Amino acid sequence: MPTTRTWLQAGGGTVVAALIIAAVVQAVNSTATWVSNDPVGECGNTSGGEVVAAQNVLWAGTGLKPVDGAWDSESEVATEAFQAYNGLPVSGCVDTSTWVTMRALAISLCDPEFECQGPDHRIRYAAPGGSREAYFAENDCDWGSYVQPGVARSPVASNKVIALSRDAVTEIECGG
Amino acid sequence: MADVVTTIEEPKIRPEWLLGGAVTLLGAIIIVVVTMVIGSGEDEPVVVPADATELTSGTCAEDLRQPHWVPDAVRHAVAECPADISAGIGRTTAEDHLGTWITYTLDGAENAETFRGEPGLAWPEEEVRSGAYHPASAITYVAYPGSGELSEELSGDNVTVESQDLPESGLEARVTRVDNNGFGPVRVEWTDDAGSYLLLATLGRTSTGTAGPTVTELIKIADSVAAEDK
Repeated sequence: MPTTRTWLQAGGGTVVAALIIAAVVQAVNSTATWVSNDPVGECGNTSGGEVVAAQNVLWAGTGLKPVDGAWDSESEVATEAFQAYNGLPVSGCVDTSTWVTMRALAISLCDPEFECQGPDHRIRYAAPGGSREAYFAENDCDWGSYVQPGVARSPVASNKVIALSRDAVTEIECGG
Repeated sequence: MADVVTTIEEPKIRPEWLLGGAVTLLGAIIIVVVTMVIGSGEDEPVVVPADATELTSGTCAEDLRQPHWVPDAVRHAVAECPADISAGIGRTTAEDHLGTWITYTLDGAENAETFRGEPGLAWPEEEVRSGAYHPASAITYVAYPGSGELSEELSGDNVTVESQDLPESGLEARVTRVDNNGFGPVRVEWTDDAGSYLLLATLGRTSTGTAGPTVTELIKIADSVAAEDK
């Protein structure tokens, strides 16, 4: 007959195991967030951190302005142009395939074996007279958007890391 | 007193002189116009550098380990070194670990940016859907000296990842394609004793065909980085 102490040990072990599993799942999800985001646009979220991320890429890829975390007809047209150029079905909705395509354009600023902090990935398009750039932060940030001045509009602040989440536009602090 | 009559003889312009002058003038105009038309049809002589490293001579990337070959459509390169990138971010970043970027732009109408203003209702939907509104095509090369790792592998239903031999240099590259019906981004990444490297370009779909380099060209560019090692 198991004693009370045995039951307590078993229960405690179960809780610890559950916490470990939850942590692993969370880590996996945070790594995959960028490629398995919720749909953005008329078929999904129309405001929040994921919209900021999509608009940030669309700024670089199509010149969409401003990046404000609110989906609108301009964002949809920009998405259609991005999808057409990249061979995607043209829906105007940032679905999983479109997210993956966007993610593939992000290049690490630091060498891959070094975790630099803050904005550490960049999407860069050559443009007449210069370039259009979108920054993202991964390390210590679980991916966040970093929008350039002149592109961001309230509630999105420029040069701040905005959480890549389905929630409202939220600034997050990165390590360092 | 006798009247004095002064007769001023007006110069006589013979009609044949007028005709001859007009013909001469017309002939001269025709010669000038024809010369201009023929001259405008001639392109500036294209100077393709024998070695692609010449595209970055005089820049901060001059001594960087970089491609010796690029496609003929490449005429220009823009180099960004760690100090430039750090300044562009607007905050201090570990410059010692930042990569150096070279952006090769491709010439040709199909590779030029076609945006007219910002995206919006002024862009006809049918034209947008056809790929008529697209960015400029470029090939991005990034070198991370001293690094021995590649970026985290990308995954997704439309992603293929495979290893590809670089025959000239004897190295092996990881080729990541986001394959959207034959179009989409392509990443070629590899390492050698001196560092790790990345090439990124988009095989673009436009209303008139395709834009950007081919995968074969990207592999050839990658292979040329170590071309002079042997």
